[in-house]
Amino acid sequence: MRISNTSIAGFEGRSVADADRGVLLTGLVGGGCLLVAFGLFLSNSTLTVVPVVGFLGATTYGWFNHQAATVKSVTFLATVATTVVLGLISVFLIARAVPVFQHMGVRIFGLTDPVRVFGITLLPGVGELWSTSGDVYSLTPMVWGTLMTTVIAMLVAGPLGVAGAIFIAEIAPPVVRESVKPGIEILAGIPSIVYGWLGFVLISPFVYEHLGTPGLGNMAIVGVVIGLMALPTVVSVAEDALTSVPNSMKDGSLALGATDWQTIKGITMPASFSGVSAAVLLGVGRAVGETMAATVILSNVVKLPEPLYNVFGNTISLTSLIASQYGNADGMHMQALFAAGVVLFVSVMVLSVVSQTIEARMKRKLEGQA
Amino acid sequence: MSTATRHSLRSDQSEAFTRLTDGVVGVGITVISLSVLAVGRVVTGDTAAFGLGAFEWIALALAAMGSTVVALGVGSFVGTFETNPEERGTVGPALGFGGIAFAAGGLTASQTLGLPLVASLAAALVAGLAVGGFVTLAREDLGTTLPAGGFALFVGALVLTDVLAAGWTWAPEGFSVTFPGYMVVPVLAGLAALVACWAAVSARSGFGAAGRQSAAYFLVGLNAIGMLVVLATLILFIGVKGFGRATQGIAFDPLALEFRWPFVMDGYNFRPDQPNGVFPAVVGTVWLVIGAVLVGVPLAVGAAVFLSEYAERGRFTQLVEVATNGLWSTPSVVFGLFGYAFLVPRFGNTTSLLAGMMVLGFMLLPLVTITSREAIKAVPDEYRDASAALGVSQWETIRSVVVPTALPGIVTGVILGVGRIAGETAPILLVMAGGLRDDAPSVLGSFQFVARPPFVVNDALLQSAPALPYQLYATITAGVSGNEEFGWATAFVLLAVVLSFYAIGVGTRIYFRRRLQHE
Amino acid sequence: MSKATSESTTTAERTTTGETDERVDPEWSNYEFEGTPKMAVEDLDVYYGDDHALDGISMEIPERSVTALIGPSGCGKSTFLRSLNRMNDRIRSARVEGSIRLDGEEVYADGVDLVELRKRVGMVFQNPNPFPKSIRDNVSYGPRKHGDLETGLLARALGRDDGDELDELVERSLRRAAIWEEVNDRLDDNALGLSGGQQQRLCIARCLATDPEVILMDEPASALDPIATAKIEDLIAELAEQYTVVIVTHNMQQAARISEQTAVFLTGGELVEYDDTEKIFEDPESQRVEDYVTGKFG
Repeated sequence: MRISNTSIAGFEGRSVADADRGVLLTGLVGGGCLLVAFGLFLSNSTLTVVPVVGFLGATTYGWFNHQAATVKSVTFLATVATTVVLGLISVFLIARAVPVFQHMGVRIFGLTDPVRVFGITLLPGVGELWSTSGDVYSLTPMVWGTLMTTVIAMLVAGPLGVAGAIFIAEIAPPVVRESVKPGIEILAGIPSIVYGWLGFVLISPFVYEHLGTPGLGNMAIVGVVIGLMALPTVVSVAEDALTSVPNSMKDGSLALGATDWQTIKGITMPASFSGVSAAVLLGVGRAVGETMAATVILSNVVKLPEPLYNVFGNTISLTSLIASQYGNADGMHMQALFAAGVVLFVSVMVLSVVSQTIEARMKRKLEGQA
Repeated sequence: MSTATRHSLRSDQSEAFTRLTDGVVGVGITVISLSVLAVGRVVTGDTAAFGLGAFEWIALALAAMGSTVVALGVGSFVGTFETNPEERGTVGPALGFGGIAFAAGGLTASQTLGLPLVASLAAALVAGLAVGGFVTLAREDLGTTLPAGGFALFVGALVLTDVLAAGWTWAPEGFSVTFPGYMVVPVLAGLAALVACWAAVSARSGFGAAGRQSAAYFLVGLNAIGMLVVLATLILFIGVKGFGRATQGIAFDPLALEFRWPFVMDGYNFRPDQPNGVFPAVVGTVWLVIGAVLVGVPLAVGAAVFLSEYAERGRFTQLVEVATNGLWSTPSVVFGLFGYAFLVPRFGNTTSLLAGMMVLGFMLLPLVTITSREAIKAVPDEYRDASAALGVSQWETIRSVVVPTALPGIVTGVILGVGRIAGETAPILLVMAGGLRDDAPSVLGSFQFVARPPFVVNDALLQSAPALPYQLYATITAGVSGNEEFGWATAFVLLAVVLSFYAIGVGTRIYFRRRLQHE
Repeated sequence: MSKATSESTTTAERTTTGETDERVDPEWSNYEFEGTPKMAVEDLDVYYGDDHALDGISMEIPERSVTALIGPSGCGKSTFLRSLNRMNDRIRSARVEGSIRLDGEEVYADGVDLVELRKRVGMVFQNPNPFPKSIRDNVSYGPRKHGDLETGLLARALGRDDGDELDELVERSLRRAAIWEEVNDRLDDNALGLSGGQQQRLCIARCLATDPEVILMDEPASALDPIATAKIEDLIAELAEQYTVVIVTHNMQQAARISEQTAVFLTGGELVEYDDTEKIFEDPESQRVEDYVTGKFG
């Protein structure tokens, strides 16, 4: 039984049963100040500081006079702020990208030559894929680069990560588990620029020397490096999913004379399937959004690999496009980078929502048996 | 009917059998390790011992393993060894061996014999189906050992007969890559040794369900060890390469109480005769973290308290949950773009430390919200009920019962979050920049009061500042040659800083979890 | 008729270490029953870390009958039950000393195949724990894992599909667990959709499908309502015609209703008295047991 007495209230005062005037007034002043401050900040005014001080004053007054109501409203505002940040990101990203979407239309995903089926042009060609002088910006090479590196990364991180999670959750003796799990969690913290550095000074030259690639850096290296980077995350989250399967279910299987491995395959894995796939999806999200490794390892040429499936070819990814070109971009060029950001943002959001849905389903499924 | 078939509880293998299987596994693990070293060029085809090259040794070992594995299987089949195999194989191994045969058949047909695509595909299919079918239909002991042993013998023979030698090359069409023999041999050898070990482990437990379990555990365990070895090697490598330069010239004068650590306490001076340091970047990172914590943590903890204590589950909480999870997975470079469009124009139109702080604060927001919510949720409802039953108001309960109980969890979340943002490069790339510098940003000394709004200004906050991760990036873009040592040392310091945050965070979490369980 | 048997089983030789007079008295736990012993336990000690959970238990369990284990909570009766099919191996701090034999074969010997043991000694848990699978798959889980039945696309392609046999087995097991009538029209539904009592009978059916010799039941009705409990109790009585049933319960009326012999465990993990159920409830030798069964403590 929770002790929450009201539904979500707006600003202070409304939620309090004995809504006295002081609370209401403080709330109005504080809330008003905050709204004004937000408005002024958006319009880029140095006067923003005045209402901010007003808000702080109202909050301080409220803290000493109406503490409970003040805390409730301030925490509510903090909650709203979280949502507002996401909203602001969407608005500012999309607003900057709209002109280039308008300018390019469907050609933003265009190829050099038009795509025709039975003489009908489905996708007009762009001639040149990326030209700042001609104001032509097709995101196809970057999307392809991101796709290829992500697929390679998940081929590395997916199976190995799930197998690692099975080892930690089900097979390892307790002593090993208790030292390996935190170790993996710590390894998840290695910054991506460090992976990038290793890829740049070690792996790229090595591959160039021994595998005869035409230049330094290629999608295969980036994919493997990102896969390694996502590995600890996948292991850690998948392990959580596996251990959330109730022990009583595993006991039931063992008591029937199934081996541990049969229990893992027949009971634990199917029961935690959604959780494990959510872990892998999380890893995919990481791989899609990974910036620094791709930026420093790839040579960032805006072209498609020849042929398309040549994973040892060089190209550019959505993230590395932004990181490598923001410095000398302005006008439409900069907007094109924002368009790349929008594509990234939307795909990662979709992944996030899908994995949350899957996870919620698993929770319901396991709770259904209680 | 319950006693119609009564098996003995025990199933024992003969000692000779166990010793043979153990031998195969021992040799196999040696071959796998050698192969890994050979791929890393630590061992090469020229490395010789007792008059034989490394590759010859590997090939001989494979041949020996292959024949032993085949012998084990045949011995089990004719009844020399007491085993407990199923009457036919299972799908997993059939797919695995079928796949290997498919690839081998197809590649041999197309690359070695030069057959056209259709013919090669046909060859691959025939090979794959034949082997896969055999594994499925044969009794489990033969189906496991014959293909595994055969594969090892095949690879061993290829190398011993010099069909596959160090100088051999293969450039697959359509890929801009050339695989030399000295890479292909160890990769194939490692794979063959792995498969042979797998079969031997299965045989050791007498095939059947027990055998499949041992064999699967062998692979899964090896994977876990491999994973840890790779990640530990990465860290060790950076440690070895960077430690020397990073700790060069450390001096401590106990009398003058003077401590000098040049790499960490000096700036980047651009003079060739003096060693460079990362002091400004360290200071910049510290300020970034402080700023981000000031921006992100109060908001995050507030939101977590509201969501778990005040709000009732409904549309609104669901929306916030989706938003926090969305923010959590938003790529860091997108945060950078957002800062570039939203913050930079509002902070004097230049990249600035303040913008960096705020962007990283926004990144910290979801990380801390999620962990704090979990920590608050973990506080048992009995505590709340007990407090309420004593007539304590809701806010008093939150303040004196809920938050103190959840505090360790919240702090852990903050530490882990700080560890993550301290190593972020992409966002500050766009909103803060700040390359290699000699002087550290002096934030505290730069506050000034002015007569017009916003009344308080701080130049240090409104200028770009260096930071460790960005410094490493700048080292790469500035051209690594000649600066590599500096880069390794920077990477080492960065790794040390970030991983200490993680280690402390994970450590506190384990500590408090234990304490909670013992109560 | 068999004595409850060899010299080593008697507790008479055990030295008096404790201060209580009752625990070492051979009369009360060296009970002779009619029928063949199925399992023999001798000097069984179980420790969880430093905690001594079972203290020198010796008893024999007769074939094809219901043996009840009763006692207050924390007395070690569930621990004892879980030792019989070595489910205690799953608890990492558990340490077992002494001997348990199944048809004369040592259960705790080196090299014992746990799979074989648990096939022969099945178990039903306190809380129903069906797998999140269909009812059919729940029942056929054991036989399929043991490779007794082959199903699936591959088997069908090879003409070795045991689908009919499997259906028969599912029906037979469900009938024997007295749940067939309630679920025969929805065998492919998820088992988690059943009621608690149905789930528990499904778990019993699942256990029967592997054709065990001994069935261990750990308070199988404690999570169920009275009607479901009555059904489970009827079922247990029927099962005893074919199987050796060992049931843990804290409900003394239940033990009196369904069991032929009863072992009373009291705090400290000791077996205080083991005898015909009637004798235990009407005229126990030990004063402590009398106090317990008459409700004076417990």
